[in-house]
Amino acid sequence: MIMTFETVLFYFLAAASIASAVMVITRRSPVMSVLFLIVNFFSLAGLYLTLHAQFIAVIQIIVYAGAIMVLFLFVIMLLNLGDEQRLAERISYKKMIAVGLSFAVLMEVLYVVAYSGTEFPTKNLERAVEIGTVEYIGRELFTTFLFPFEITSILLLAAIIGAVVMAKKKID
Amino acid sequence: MIELESYLLLSAITFVIGVIGVLTRRNAIIVFMSIELMLNSVNLTLVAFSAFLGDPTGQMLVFFVMTVAAAEAAVGLAIIIALFRNKQTLNIDEINILKW
Amino acid sequence: MVDQILESLSKFLPETTLVVAFCLALIADLVFRKNRGIVTALSLLGVVVSLLFAFQQAGMSLSVFSGMMAVDPFSVFFKIVIGVSAVFIILFSLYSHDVQTTERRKGEYFSLLLALTLGMYLMAGAANLLMMVLALELTSLTSYILAGYTKEAGDSSEASLKYIIYGALSSGLMLYGISIIYGLTGATNIYGINEALSTGEVNEITLLIASVLIIAGFGYKISAVPFHFWTPDVYEGAPVTITAFLSVASKAAGFAMMIRFFKVSFLDSNVVDLPSGMWSSLQGFEWNSILAVLSVLTMTLGNLVAVWQNNLKRLLAYSSIAHAGYMLMGVVVLSDKGLAAVLIYFVVYLFMNLGAFYIVMLVANKTGSEDIDSYKGLGYRSPLLGVAMVIFFISLTGLPPTAGFIGKLYLFVALLDAKWIWLAVVGALNSVISLYYYVRVLRNMFLRDPEKDSGSIRFSVPQVAILLLLLVPTLLFGLYFAPIVDWANASVIMFGVR
Repeated sequence: MIMTFETVLFYFLAAASIASAVMVITRRSPVMSVLFLIVNFFSLAGLYLTLHAQFIAVIQIIVYAGAIMVLFLFVIMLLNLGDEQRLAERISYKKMIAVGLSFAVLMEVLYVVAYSGTEFPTKNLERAVEIGTVEYIGRELFTTFLFPFEITSILLLAAIIGAVVMAKKKID
Repeated sequence: MIELESYLLLSAITFVIGVIGVLTRRNAIIVFMSIELMLNSVNLTLVAFSAFLGDPTGQMLVFFVMTVAAAEAAVGLAIIIALFRNKQTLNIDEINILKW
Repeated sequence: MVDQILESLSKFLPETTLVVAFCLALIADLVFRKNRGIVTALSLLGVVVSLLFAFQQAGMSLSVFSGMMAVDPFSVFFKIVIGVSAVFIILFSLYSHDVQTTERRKGEYFSLLLALTLGMYLMAGAANLLMMVLALELTSLTSYILAGYTKEAGDSSEASLKYIIYGALSSGLMLYGISIIYGLTGATNIYGINEALSTGEVNEITLLIASVLIIAGFGYKISAVPFHFWTPDVYEGAPVTITAFLSVASKAAGFAMMIRFFKVSFLDSNVVDLPSGMWSSLQGFEWNSILAVLSVLTMTLGNLVAVWQNNLKRLLAYSSIAHAGYMLMGVVVLSDKGLAAVLIYFVVYLFMNLGAFYIVMLVANKTGSEDIDSYKGLGYRSPLLGVAMVIFFISLTGLPPTAGFIGKLYLFVALLDAKWIWLAVVGALNSVISLYYYVRVLRNMFLRDPEKDSGSIRFSVPQVAILLLLLVPTLLFGLYFAPIVDWANASVIMFGVR
């Protein structure tokens, strides 16, 4: 019973995430794209829960759907964009190459997944639940990963300064 | 029980959709959203591997990828605002003083 | 754990200095609003002190912060190359028109420059895929901003946008590659990856695809074809000081990270029957053939397209792409000799390329143009500048008696030693093509009459002094190069590799 529930949940979330991803890149209006991207993020958060990664699922919603997407929406509103021009209808050779390349990548990646299947381990449920908790991640973050954590603070500081420098209206 | 392959396939598909978005869309904001899609599929791969390997490193990586994505989005959008002030457009085909 | 972290910190002084200088520069910018020269002085001091600490690290070989970073002769070498070029860039900035006309933003400019330098230092030492990503992103984010620093000029913010789109795309590809590698090996530490690859059987095709995706990230940083698209636009649109910094230091950091990743992760330490100084990669996984192809594409495209350029910054952009191709040849051969050749090339490239960009900056300050046409008769308007440009260009072409010749010589010797004759031939042919476009500029400078009513150009003493600081080594290292060669040979040692 639980097995089937998990399976149904996975396929539902997977379908939602693929469909919303396609919508993101095909909508003409950036606002619609943002909204579908939020749907995508929520379905990914659900998938993280099926993988027992609770902490990641929560920050996925708080950081991505809550902060980054609001930033996107805010910028779109600020610039007051209408519908962008219709997607170029004529097929340019550039676009053909782009789509061709993308499919080449797709095929390669599918190849990876299809042909290396047997080597992958099966899930140890208890262990998976253990490592997904806030406690476990917090302990790792402030011991083994302390240094990258500190470097991240520099990265964010530099990004803040940069964003202010670039977006400020007139400084001189 | 869902196999690891299903997760990997799903993230591969999302990743490719993101790449296609970057390569074909001309609106700079939508290009950035496509990049977010790519980074999210990376996160899905990492979480899936992490859960199946029973190793926390993957989830730590996700944490950092999210931070990087946030920083990149903030800077990217700031650059878009600066550019929009100069050109009044976000279509990357119309932004062409410099040749592509 | 705490002891270990404190112990690591004491081995980490160059980077710590930069972090402190970065924060101080930010504060100083807020406190001393009247006198922004203090920020400049502070950042110069920060970089110089970090360089001194880097020199002190000579001979160390250890890993710090739970294996996140390596402090070894290899990383110290690159830190010094990056630090020295940062010093030059700060000096350039004192006389750069782009920087000096944006008085109120100068504080941010110098503090971001420090953050950029820090990112590159971290790239040089990163021994964990996570650290590599973070260091790469720190470097990239600050370079996006600095490339768009003169944002009121349309082409600068445009350069910035193109840079961030290409950058974000390639870092996305790289992250996907990293996630696959992590899945295959269960490790993010490059030594852990090496161990996992040596003991377990790994699907070769999966590994190949992951490596190609990761090369996208490195390739973008060193501007190798086909990840070079951003280079000409960013080099043309960015302030010339930033262009010069990106062309030397960013490339050096990218090479350092790439070499460490490939050498350590795929090193097969069980093969013993090799000539000394050579090494072999695991399971016949030939990552170096991918790089060989990239190298040929990179130098050929860079040189061929450079021929058609009319903007000198754009021409130098393509020439820097071509130089990345030459340096890749040294990585391809899988020998210590090849690596040493790359290191030698970087020392030489630092002086000659910064020199060429410095002259572009000086001329643009006076004439307001970077077009090759505006260099007509420059050799008569300012003989010193003319002669200096000749020397830098001869060096970039790789002809004696300049330092550029030594750089190329060691590369070709390493190639021939390892029997990569066809690659050496391609490299030599490319040098011939490069002669053509460098000479085209020189012809404009000496054989064309200057436009009417343009008098001679004069420079202040410090400006000339900076020029001589770049010019003298370019000539000197062409004749007396033993110290560099010794230093490079001693610097190929990486932590954790026999």
